[in-house]
Amino acid sequence: MKRLIVLLGIMGSLIVSSWPSFSQRDPNARCLLECHGKPDFKREVVPGQFKSLYVDYEQLKVSVHKEKLCVDCHTDVTAIPHQRRPEQIHCLQCHYQGNVVGAPVRERPEKYKESVHGKAFERGDPNAPDCKSCHTVHAVRPPTDPLSPVYKANIPKTCGGCHIEIYTEYVESVHGQALRNNVLESAVCSDCHREHDLFPPDDPRSSLHPQNVANTCARCHSDVKIMERRGVPVKQVEAFKKSFHGIAIEFGILKSANCTSCHGYHKILSSRDPRSPIHPLNLAQTCGQCHPNASDNVARGRFHIIPSDPEAGIVFWVSQFFKWLTISVLIGLFLHIAIDLYGRFRRAGGTSHE
Amino acid sequence: MSEERPEGLEERLTHEIASEFQAELDHPLDEADWARIKQEVKARLRAELARRKAEAERATPKEAEEYFVRFSLNVRAQHFVLAVGVLLLIFTGLPIKFHESVWAKYFFHVISLELSRLLHRVGASLLIGVGIWHMLYLLTTEGRREFRELLPRPKDLFDFLQNIKYLLGLSHERPKFGRFSYIEKFDYWAVYWGMVIMIGSGLLLWFHNLALGLFPKYVLDIAREAHSDEALLATLAIVIWHWYNAHFNPSVFPMSTTIFTGKISKKRMMEEHPLEYEQVMASSPPAPLPAEGEEKAEAEQP
Repeated sequence: MKRLIVLLGIMGSLIVSSWPSFSQRDPNARCLLECHGKPDFKREVVPGQFKSLYVDYEQLKVSVHKEKLCVDCHTDVTAIPHQRRPEQIHCLQCHYQGNVVGAPVRERPEKYKESVHGKAFERGDPNAPDCKSCHTVHAVRPPTDPLSPVYKANIPKTCGGCHIEIYTEYVESVHGQALRNNVLESAVCSDCHREHDLFPPDDPRSSLHPQNVANTCARCHSDVKIMERRGVPVKQVEAFKKSFHGIAIEFGILKSANCTSCHGYHKILSSRDPRSPIHPLNLAQTCGQCHPNASDNVARGRFHIIPSDPEAGIVFWVSQFFKWLTISVLIGLFLHIAIDLYGRFRRAGGTSHE
Repeated sequence: MSEERPEGLEERLTHEIASEFQAELDHPLDEADWARIKQEVKARLRAELARRKAEAERATPKEAEEYFVRFSLNVRAQHFVLAVGVLLLIFTGLPIKFHESVWAKYFFHVISLELSRLLHRVGASLLIGVGIWHMLYLLTTEGRREFRELLPRPKDLFDFLQNIKYLLGLSHERPKFGRFSYIEKFDYWAVYWGMVIMIGSGLLLWFHNLALGLFPKYVLDIAREAHSDEALLATLAIVIWHWYNAHFNPSVFPMSTTIFTGKISKKRMMEEHPLEYEQVMASSPPAPLPAEGEEKAEAEQP
């Protein structure tokens, strides 16, 4: 009897030392104790090929779902051990708008179904990402957690996991470089493409539809605080919208230039960078994409000018000239009309009209 | 029926009313009675004169009114093309200048930017066309004569000052305008300024691909700004100034048809262009019969 107690004690201490992250009283213990808590717990998918069914419970315990039970998500598991293979779970079980369990729905995740990724997934594309591709499975951390794959600084790598070529372009761009220098307000993939409602650019709902590009860039580039901190001019988007390109786009001529037509997109570079399409030496070629006679003349003049702004240079002075010309001429004309009316009515109301 | 002169009429009325009053009163007419009589006379006199005036106006049918031909068919056609072109340009141009406004969005929603662009270029073609037409017109005898009349002279400055004085009541003498008043001359020369700016900048913008090969970008930026700003100035000058002086002013309100029919009444001719009137009357003795002529013909009523 004494030996038995000692044996049990040894076993107990073994259990505690090998799975220290949950206690017997943990409601998830039944899932973990015999099966999913064991690192070598796996299933033979096809003969000779195994799939690990191990769940790193420590990760789950620090995730946003630490309060949840296994069966809260795996709802079809009604008996433990389960007899059938549980169905794949879907995050939208909880994360839909108006849910009662308090699952946050910040970005309307159901939009995912409409997105390029959701559509591809629906078609059965094996490479199409679903929620867990970006958010992971059991280790879901909030986007504010630097260890989360959807933490801002980690997003390019997360997307780059599939979009490798674009990732290599992005890291060279001003945005990628800034992010590498820990400038978290720099743009990452999701700032332009959005997260869940990610549509192809020819879809009018897309943040990158030609008519929406300027507003997408404006989310940061019209933000005075961010742009001042980074020393980037802030009126570019406003000036674009006033330009012929901007007006043409606004009223449906989609072939007109938008921000990306000249600046590029993934590999956006400073105009001081000789590789940049907006470097003065490359402008003729860049404008030449649409304007056949564009020569080096296109580099002679300021870009993104607002005529009422002194930074517009000569255009500012032209605008000032016309402003004051118009004001003074109209004051003169109005005065003359007023005097004329006064004279006419005075004489009409007076003695007699000669 | 021979009408008596107003003085005689006043005397007669005074007499009549005085006897009417006397008939009703049992005492001789005192001062208060005479004051009432005077008032009564005034009222009746005014009514009688108004009646006679209306009768005289009815007696002269409109068609038989004397008129002068102020603008030749050529000038009227030029003005018509210019007006159509400018209105087309204003309607399709302002929504681009004020593209942020609700009405601009609605306008482009209805007719689309592509069609609006096309119409703007149709308007531009009319404007350029009428510009060339007018230059050629200035080579003709009629054109040269009109041009000489339109040249600014020191008299225009004096006319302007005198007119202001007259309108303000500082002088009783109205300036005597010739064929074109300083206001009309201002309109004519303002069109030159407008045409040069608008056609010059407009052509650069229309053929921007060509222009980009020839000029620095800032030239096109200036062209765009000048085009947009001068467009507003021209629109306001036309809508406020030109339309007031030509159409909306009280003497011709709501509009003058002279620029479309070429005809101006003798009354307006004498009022607005007295010097020209004198010249015309001096050079051509009044024709006894309705004459059909190119210039300043008169249709005399029998």
